[in-house]
Amino acid sequence: MSGGRGDKNSEFRPGTWLQGTGPECDIAICTRARLARNLQGFRFSPCIEPDESRRLYDFVSGRLRQGGLPEQLNLLDLEPVDELERSVLVERHLISRELAAGKRPSGVAVDADESIAVMINEEDHLRMQVFASGLQTEAVWRRAERLDDALMQRLPMACSEEFGFLTSCPTNTGTGLRLSVMLHLPGLVWSEEIDKATNVAQKIHLAVRGLYGEGSRALGDFYQVSNQQTLGRDEMQIQSDVLLAVGRVVQWEREVRGALLRGSARVRTLDRVHRALGILERAQILTSEDALGSLSALRFGIEEDLIEGFTIAAVNRALLLSQPGHLQRHTRELLNPEERDQRRAALLREVLGCSP
Amino acid sequence: MQYCTACQKAIATIVIMDLVEGAVTGSQHVCASCAEQLGVATQKHPPKFSAEMLEDLLGGLKGAKPLSRSRAEACPGCGLTPAEFRTKGRLGCPRCYETFRHELMPLLQRIHEAQSHRGRLPGLTSAPPPIDERTLSDLRRRLEDAVRGEQYEEAARLRDDLRRAERGEGPPAGGLG
Repeated sequence: MSGGRGDKNSEFRPGTWLQGTGPECDIAICTRARLARNLQGFRFSPCIEPDESRRLYDFVSGRLRQGGLPEQLNLLDLEPVDELERSVLVERHLISRELAAGKRPSGVAVDADESIAVMINEEDHLRMQVFASGLQTEAVWRRAERLDDALMQRLPMACSEEFGFLTSCPTNTGTGLRLSVMLHLPGLVWSEEIDKATNVAQKIHLAVRGLYGEGSRALGDFYQVSNQQTLGRDEMQIQSDVLLAVGRVVQWEREVRGALLRGSARVRTLDRVHRALGILERAQILTSEDALGSLSALRFGIEEDLIEGFTIAAVNRALLLSQPGHLQRHTRELLNPEERDQRRAALLREVLGCSP
Repeated sequence: MQYCTACQKAIATIVIMDLVEGAVTGSQHVCASCAEQLGVATQKHPPKFSAEMLEDLLGGLKGAKPLSRSRAEACPGCGLTPAEFRTKGRLGCPRCYETFRHELMPLLQRIHEAQSHRGRLPGLTSAPPPIDERTLSDLRRRLEDAVRGEQYEEAARLRDDLRRAERGEGPPAGGLG
């Protein structure tokens, strides 16, 4: 599979969902549907005994290998995968941090363009993820549904009429569906409207968190919006809730961007974008935070036709490659933080095609 | 405030009335323990309608408080104890959903503002029929009326109908409710 060790080209071939295409792709980077499923007859993963965990992994991976699934998946057993390679998979959103840190027998089944990833033995026995570029809630749901149908025929899923799909954490009970949209919201952040937008989203039961960085602090103006409730509303209702709410956030972002580009605000906005470009072109040391901030401003400049010569896809690629796992994998050595910041500055110039 | 006419020490909380053909012919004010000794009253009061009873009856439909369960035990499916469930917030196996039902219901209500599933299940290829909101609000109104009128059997039946209706199912065969 493409995430495997020694596949040099994969470093420059992020998942197709990072191509910067699809509806509203200037603001909505990508959409993800995630389904949590568990098997009957096994304890949930956090409580599972080691030998039971092995049996579960063998059983599920055996069924996934049987073929006849609507997707071509390659199974990667995570046991022999080292920490660095695991962090690369996390940065590509193919596995969660929890799965990467886990000691249980685990694996991930991925399709060729990394738009589907099925984690085995995460917090739930199965966590299916489907990605698409831009704002495509219905498309990702339909594709997840098709895969889920096929898996339900092969695996006895734990469910009840009353509670739906039974999950380890009650926050996922019911549909087990979490629909997320990753958004680039520099307009809302720069005009200090982001807290207002976040509050509105939370009022209608959507979770908003930063895509990068720990806790509530969002680095580089990248956010992830997802449904909080999985029980009591069916999949299509969840889909339309998220689509409606994200559509409004996108519209709001466009409005504030308009204001940032009008009148006396325009020159300040242009200054911000060009300063960021200057940093990316000239800086010799770039922390992760600096890189995300500058890339965000550059992306904004491209989206609003303020600068030429760069593509959204290149910025998306730069965002991925400047993260610690990818950076160290690219240089093929473990680096201390200072070395990392130097390499990051050099790599970003390379990826963005800036002069050295 | 009146002292018990039997022991003369405690405050009287119970009135024993002598009734002859529906008319009060005499009365005695006694304390609870004397009343029990006299065999005319026990500490256990007859069931009175209370908020707890309503929540119990509604089976958590309105976010019942967790019942304090001294008999709560580990889940027979995985051995998870109630204390572990409370600290970790994770269930151990599918059976935990029944074992910890009373703790789980208010939790689900808080997280999802719902306590029952709508949507896909294995074997169901299409989404369940849309909920008829008029039927639901009618059932809710009748349930509240029944509870208010202390018609608990009727209320229990209406509660079951409401649950079914919320899941998008019709009334059971025989057309109750």
